[in-house]
Amino acid sequence: MSELNIIVSTLAKTAARRRLERGFRRLWQGLFIGASAWLLFLAAYKLAPIPVEFVLYSWLLIPLAALIGFIWGYSRPMSVDETARWVDSKVKLQERVSTALEVARDERAAEWKNLIVSDAAKSVSALKPKDLLPFTLPKASRWALVILILGVGLGFVPEYRSKASQQARQDKEAIQQTGRELAKLTKRNLQARPPAIETTKKSLLEMEELGNHLAKAQLTRGEALKELSSLTEKLKEQTRELAKDPAIRNLERASRNGSKSGTPSAEMQQKLDNMAKQLGAQAANSEAMEKMKQDLQKAKDMAANLPKGDSPEAKQAQDQMKASLADLQKQAKDLGLDLPSLSEAIAAMQQAQPDQVLKDLQVAEVELEKMEQMAKALEKMQLDMQKLGKDLAEQLKNGQAEAAESTLRKMAQAAKNAQTSPEQMEKMMKEVSEALDAAKQYGEVGEQMKQAMKNMQAGKKGEAGENLQNAANELSKMMGELGDAQSLLASLESLQQAAMCLANGQGFGEGMGGKGAGQGRKTGKSQSGVGTWADENSWEYPEMVDSWDNTGIERPDIDGKGVSDKGDGQLADNLAPTKIKGQLTPGGPMPSITMKGVSIKGTSKVQVEEMAAAAQSDAQAALNQDQVPRAYQNAVRNYFDDLKE
Amino acid sequence: MNTEQQIQSFRDTYAALRAEVGKVIVGNTEIVDGTLIAMLAGGHVLLEGVPGLGKTLLVRTLSQVLHLTFNRIQFTPDLMPADILGTNIVMEVPGGGREFRFQKGPIFAHLLLADEINRATPKTQSALLEAMQEHSVTAGGEIRKLEEPFFVLATQNPIDQEGTYPLPEAQLDRFFFKLIVGYPTNADLNEVLTRTTENRKVEINTVVNREQMIELQHLVRQVPVASHVRDYAVRLVLATHPKTETAAPIANQYLRFGSSPRGAQSMLLAAKVRALTQGRFNASFEDIQAVVLPTLRHRCILNFEAEAEDVTTDLVIAQILRDVPRDAVEVAA
Repeated sequence: MSELNIIVSTLAKTAARRRLERGFRRLWQGLFIGASAWLLFLAAYKLAPIPVEFVLYSWLLIPLAALIGFIWGYSRPMSVDETARWVDSKVKLQERVSTALEVARDERAAEWKNLIVSDAAKSVSALKPKDLLPFTLPKASRWALVILILGVGLGFVPEYRSKASQQARQDKEAIQQTGRELAKLTKRNLQARPPAIETTKKSLLEMEELGNHLAKAQLTRGEALKELSSLTEKLKEQTRELAKDPAIRNLERASRNGSKSGTPSAEMQQKLDNMAKQLGAQAANSEAMEKMKQDLQKAKDMAANLPKGDSPEAKQAQDQMKASLADLQKQAKDLGLDLPSLSEAIAAMQQAQPDQVLKDLQVAEVELEKMEQMAKALEKMQLDMQKLGKDLAEQLKNGQAEAAESTLRKMAQAAKNAQTSPEQMEKMMKEVSEALDAAKQYGEVGEQMKQAMKNMQAGKKGEAGENLQNAANELSKMMGELGDAQSLLASLESLQQAAMCLANGQGFGEGMGGKGAGQGRKTGKSQSGVGTWADENSWEYPEMVDSWDNTGIERPDIDGKGVSDKGDGQLADNLAPTKIKGQLTPGGPMPSITMKGVSIKGTSKVQVEEMAAAAQSDAQAALNQDQVPRAYQNAVRNYFDDLKE
Repeated sequence: MNTEQQIQSFRDTYAALRAEVGKVIVGNTEIVDGTLIAMLAGGHVLLEGVPGLGKTLLVRTLSQVLHLTFNRIQFTPDLMPADILGTNIVMEVPGGGREFRFQKGPIFAHLLLADEINRATPKTQSALLEAMQEHSVTAGGEIRKLEEPFFVLATQNPIDQEGTYPLPEAQLDRFFFKLIVGYPTNADLNEVLTRTTENRKVEINTVVNREQMIELQHLVRQVPVASHVRDYAVRLVLATHPKTETAAPIANQYLRFGSSPRGAQSMLLAAKVRALTQGRFNASFEDIQAVVLPTLRHRCILNFEAEAEDVTTDLVIAQILRDVPRDAVEVAA
C-alpha cells in the first residue's frame, strides 16, 4: 500500500468514526433539548391552565429530539479533506496531512509531493480512530439527567390554578358529562320506545346529536346553555303543535282524569290470579299481615332476651314464648301463609334451643316482609282493576285507551266473524251506541264508531268490523302521538334539568344521582377538612365556599377524617337512603327558586293540623293529576306524609 | 543536489548563521530569527528600538556572516537622495576631455544599513522606494539594476522624536518585517557586559555567499502551502481592513487603514521560511500566526481613537488573531 493510500485509508476510517461519534453526541444534545422542552411544558402546565394533553404528549419530545439529533449528526457526510484538517487540528500535525492530500493532487512538484506525503504518512500511520474519538458521555448527557430529575420533581408539585380557570375546567367537565348523559338518555329512550311521528324522531335525534356535540366540543357554559335553550324552545314549540290536536288533548285529559292503568282487564285479572295463588286466599289482607309482623317482632325480641336455666322465671318466659309462637302459627294458618321457618322455630323451642329460635324467627320475618310487599302490590292491582272501565263507554270515558283499543279490536273481530249471533251483535251495537258520546272527544275514532253503528244497523257486519278496526287503529295512532308528546315532555324535562345543572356548575350525570347522599359533594374542592360535615349546599353558592371550607386547618384535638370511602359495594336494602333532608332525589340537584312574597299580617284563624290536612289533600290531588314531575313525586309524597306527624 | 538535500542544506545554513550571529549578539533570538527570515525571504527589515540595544551591531554582524557587500548610511536631516543613490559628476578622461560619469552611491551594495532612517527628510527617505521594491535605481535618466541579493536593514529610534520624520506609509509598506528590539534580560545583559568589557576577540566566519543566498531564497518559494492555510493569511489581512464586510470589530474601531496585499505576501513567505527552519516541508497555521505581528504591525495605520486610547497596532493584531478562526470550515466538531 502506498503512503498516500495509507493516509487516505486512515482518514476514511476516522471519517466514519467521526460521523458515528457526532451522531452519538447530537443524540445526547437532542435528548437535552427534548428534556428541556418537556420541562418547559411541564412548568407551563403547572403555572397556566393549558390542557393536560400537552404534558402527556410532550414527553415524546425527548426520544424524538434524541432521534432527530442522532440523524442530524450522523447524516452529514464527512469528506476525507475535511477529516484531514480535523486530524491536523486534533493531533497538532501542523497541517501536514491536509497539505499532503492537496499536494498529492498537484502534478507540478513531484519531489516536494513525495517528501510531504511521506512525512504525513509517518504521522498518520500511528493514529487510531478509536483512540482519537472515544465514545464518552458528553456534558449534555449530565445536563439532560439533571433536567429529567427536575422534571420528575416538578411532577409532584401541585398545579397553580386561578379560581376562574378552575371554574372553567369544572364547567367544561360538567358540559361534557351533561352531553354524554343527554346523549345516552335520548338513545335509550329512542331504543325503548321508537317515536310514532317522524318530527318527534327527528327532534329526539337532534337532542342526541346535541348531547354528542356537548360531549366533544369545547364550549363555554354560556354557549352550552344557549344551545340547550335553543333546543328546549324547539321541543316546546313541537309539543305545543302536538297539543293543538283536540283529539290528543282529549285523550291526554281523559287519561289524566281517569285510571293510570290502561292494561286490558283480562291481562290484569290473570296477573291478579297468579299473585293471589302465590299468597293464599286470605293473604291479600295487608293489615293482618302487618299485625302478624309486629307480633313476630315481639316474639323475636322475647327470644333474644330469653333467660336460660331451670329457674321458675325462665320456665315462665319459655312458656310465654311457646304460647306466642303458637299464636303466630295460628295467624299464619288463618292467613293461609306458608312459613316453614316458623314451624322450625317452634321445633327449636321444643328442643330448648333459644339461639336457633332467634335465627328461625329472623328468617321468618324476612319471608313475611316479602309476602307483605306482594300483598300490597296485590291490593294496588285490585284497586286498579276496580278503576278499570267495565265496557267500551267507560274505558273511553276514563281515557283507558289501551283497554278501549283492545275492546274495539275484539268487537271488530266479532263483527267480521260470520258465526257471531244476532244477540251478540245486538249487545255489541248497544255497547257501541253507549260509547258514542264518550268517543266524540276522540275525533276520527268517534266518526268510525258512528259509521260502524250505522253499518251494524244496516246489517253490514263486514263493513262495521272494518270501521271498528279503523277506530282501533286510529286510537292506537293517537296513543302513539300521545306517547310522542310524553316523550317530548320527558325530553324537555331532561333538557331543562341539564340546563339547570349546567347553570349550577354541575354535570347532568351528577344531577342524575351518581354519588351517595351525605358524602359531602363539593364542586370546587375534592378534599374535606376537619370533621365529616357534608358540604351539601356548596353548589348553591360556590363563591361562598371559602367562608366555611376548613380544608387545610389542622386541629390538635381532631384529625381531619376526609371523605369516608364506602367503596363501590351495594348497601343493604334497609340501609339505602329513602329520604334526604334538603334533597328531592338522593344525589340529585335541588332546584332553588327565590320568590318574592308579601308577608300576611294578623292572626291565623285555622289550626295548624287543619292547614296541614288541607295542604296534604292539595298535594295528593296534584300528585294524582300528574302535576308533579315523576322524579319528584316520591319526595313530595314523603314531605306531606311527614306533616301528619 | 535534490530537493531533500537542498532543504537539509537550508537547515544547516540557517543553524550556522544563527550560531555565528550568536557569537556577537546576545539574546534577542526573535530579532535575529526575524531578520534572518526576512533576508531568506528576500525582504527588508525595519528595526525599531531605543539606542544601545545592538541594532546596528546585528546588521554589521550579519554583513560579516554573509559574504556580501555592505554599506552603511547614517541618516541625517541634511542627507540628500543623491548621497544615497549616487550622482553624475564631471570626470577628466584620458586625452584631456571631460565627461559625466555616474558615481554610485552607498545603496549599491548587497546589504545596506540605513541607520536612524527617520532622521532624514521624507524626500531622502523616498529615494529608497524604488530600490527597495524594484531593486533598481534611476539616476540621470538611466535605470541601474542593483546586484542581487539586495537588503535594506533600517533602524529607527522611537524616542527622541525632535527633528525626526516619520516614515511615509508607502515606505513602511516596503519593509518585509518591522521588528521591535526590546531590552535585554538579566542574563543577557550580564553576558553582554562580559563580552564587551574584556579583551576577548570574536572570530566570525562567513557562512553564506551571494550565490548560496539566492539559491536559498529560491528554495523558500517552493515550499507548498495548503489552500486553507493560505486562506487563513488572506482572512487575517482582510480582517485588518476597516469598514469592510470582512473587518474584525477591533479593526473597525481602531484602524484607519489596514494592510496592503504586500502584507499577505510577506506573511506567506515568512511562514514558508519558518516552516523550513522548523524542519517541515509545509507551512502551517502556526507559522502564519508566528509571523503575523512583524508583517502587519507597520502596515496597519491607527486612527485617532486608538492614538487617544494608547492602543497599539500589536494589540489590535493580537485581537484580530483571536477573532479570525483558523479554518473557515468548522472542523473541530
